Amino acid sequence: MIFLFYLLSGVALLSALMVVFSRSPINSVIHLIICFLAIAGHYILLNAQFLAVVHIIVYTGAIMVLFLFVIMLLNLNKENEPHKKLYTKLAAIISGGMLLLVLTGAVKSVALIPFNEKFDSQIGLVGNFGKILFNEFMLPFEASSVLFLSAIIGAMILGKKEKITNNE
Amino acid sequence: MLVLEQYLLMRHELLLTLITLIILVAEISLKGENSHQLRLFSIILFFIVTVIGFIPIQEGNLFGGMYQTSGLIVLMKNILNIGVLIVFIQSYTWLGKEENKIKASEFFLLILSTLIGMNFMISSGDFLMFYIGLELATIPIAALAAYERHKTKSAEAGIKLILSSSLSTGIMLYGISMIYGTTGSIYFKEVAEAFSANNLQTLAFIFFFTGMAFKISIVPFHLWTADVYEGAPINVASYLSVISKGAAVFIFIIIMFTVFRTVTGMWQNALYITTVLTMTVGNLFAIRQKNLKRFLAFSSISQAGFIFLGIIGGNKLGMTSVVYFILVYIFSNLGAFGVVSAIANKTGKENVDDYNGLYSTNPMLSLVMTLALFSLAGIPPFAGFFGKFFLFTAAAEQGFYILVLIGVLNTIISLYYYLLIVKAMFINKSDIAIEHFKSDFYTRLGLIICVAGIFVIGFASPIFEYISSLSFGI
Amino acid sequence: MTEGIPLNYFLILSTLMFFIGIYGFLTRRNLITILMSVELILNSVNINFVAFNNYLYPDRLQGHFFTLFIIAVAAAEAAVAIAIIINIYRNFKSINVEDANEMKY
Repeated sequence: MIFLFYLLSGVALLSALMVVFSRSPINSVIHLIICFLAIAGHYILLNAQFLAVVHIIVYTGAIMVLFLFVIMLLNLNKENEPHKKLYTKLAAIISGGMLLLVLTGAVKSVALIPFNEKFDSQIGLVGNFGKILFNEFMLPFEASSVLFLSAIIGAMILGKKEKITNNE
Repeated sequence: MLVLEQYLLMRHELLLTLITLIILVAEISLKGENSHQLRLFSIILFFIVTVIGFIPIQEGNLFGGMYQTSGLIVLMKNILNIGVLIVFIQSYTWLGKEENKIKASEFFLLILSTLIGMNFMISSGDFLMFYIGLELATIPIAALAAYERHKTKSAEAGIKLILSSSLSTGIMLYGISMIYGTTGSIYFKEVAEAFSANNLQTLAFIFFFTGMAFKISIVPFHLWTADVYEGAPINVASYLSVISKGAAVFIFIIIMFTVFRTVTGMWQNALYITTVLTMTVGNLFAIRQKNLKRFLAFSSISQAGFIFLGIIGGNKLGMTSVVYFILVYIFSNLGAFGVVSAIANKTGKENVDDYNGLYSTNPMLSLVMTLALFSLAGIPPFAGFFGKFFLFTAAAEQGFYILVLIGVLNTIISLYYYLLIVKAMFINKSDIAIEHFKSDFYTRLGLIICVAGIFVIGFASPIFEYISSLSFGI
Repeated sequence: MTEGIPLNYFLILSTLMFFIGIYGFLTRRNLITILMSVELILNSVNINFVAFNNYLYPDRLQGHFFTLFIIAVAAAEAAVAIAIIINIYRNFKSINVEDANEMKY
């Protein structure tokens, strides 16, 4: 198992790095998809089968295709993106690295006691999920429907044709 | 099973959802005709909801503690409702412009859905509802900031808002995930019992605090504020500066006083530094602004610093004064934004220099502006003075004397730049002063409500006593 | 399925991914790539939630559900952000951060 974990983590981290470093947006998107697939693998390792499927469908299937579509629509696949100045990168690395150190230190310093009861492999399956979703998590479920409605309206007004079109 | 009485507990959210759907259906079936009636209809519907919100009901929890309500929470929601009502009235004229007519009802729909989000956020009993409410309160606002599509600045404001807010939610979620990992629950009650400020939890709190600070635009996480306020339409900017900030402060104070009540020493340090920075930096940047929207943005940043004075003590008086201050702040800031919006709608001018000699041509508008600015600055006898006075008292009660001193010094600085605008209006002479114009009924109504609010709240002590009877300390 | 893998490994994985996301957010200039960095940050949060849930508190599925809702909300957020980006492109004919920078101090 540990081998699988190393493999998936390696793929996820490398492709995440490629997302950040590759110059063309299309490459970034493709690497992000690989990264998400690796993360879905982690979810299966972590006994969250339903989440793994949802993750692939929503992220890789919907969001990433949307990204890819927009990049192609706007014809952005040129590699002329100017990178930021060296000191910005240096500052990002130093501040990020320091926080990384603090975080790893904090993670290591706190003893988290694992749960030792019998392992239930069915816990992350859809039947169990649905039961809990419509009992304990009913309200967030309904509230997120309002969120989607407003996101649809929001995306719509940005695309709605105006009668007056005067580009400044 | 839920019975009717339990549904009544969440009447704010349910009614708002209902009128959102009604307006949506009306908009679809009218196909963009009768925009004038639809706008009026929306405002009247919302007015009815606001009035219904004041009917007192009992406290209670729903959905296994995910939704909680109390007298204080209902009061906070009502305060937000009043503010939104004023924003609606003020934006009536702006929405009647030819280029906005076609999407006027979407403005109402988006604002109402953000208000639903804020209500859920204030009522949340766990971090999941809090997160969904927060996102619901932010995402539509970004679409609204990019509302004026033909203006480049508006699109820029929208992207700046959504990127900075999604980064801040990402950071905040990271904190929440660590809070979950170390306490084993996402419910506020259970987290409060298990929270002990070990290394990981302290770090988790810092992440969480960073995310909240972005939303309330606390220095050093304020960089998006001025750009977004300048680029967004004025009415959206006023909504952002008053309602969004108010809701974020409300939930922030609730979380600080309930979830993190056992670790006051930890968050008081964080608040202490950010309060000093926020007041000072907000004030210093406000002095050099030429654009009134940017000016009001920085003034609202420094006001957020003063609000933190009430939170830091963790006492009952602090909570009372924060709620009271937000109430006052809604009226005074919306008054100032209302004048700016009225003038910008007529003439398109929004720079401080354009206001030279405004008193000679438009005396009423400049008087309202002066009143609002005096209230923001905290000059007695206006409501803002009492608001700030109570905040200072709350901090001093807990022994934060140096902080109060810095606060008083900052009030004096703020007096200077608020008076600069008053000077421009009353004393400076200008050949190209804004010409005299008559405002329409809705603009006037909005300003009259603001002025009445500034006076009534300042002189009516029952309001403060009522808030005090509901609030709680640690 | 996680025998032999300590919880800390997952936490360190998510921490690394979080900072790759932050780094990308700070250094990239293309708005779409910035958005992708945000998705990376959200995914690191998701790994955290699922790992904590699975290792420490498998009797309640709170972490799983938090992840589910983060995925859902991220979709809505990305949709609105992309609508705004298309708007930016119409106005500026570019989606680089430097170009969309009319307002300064």
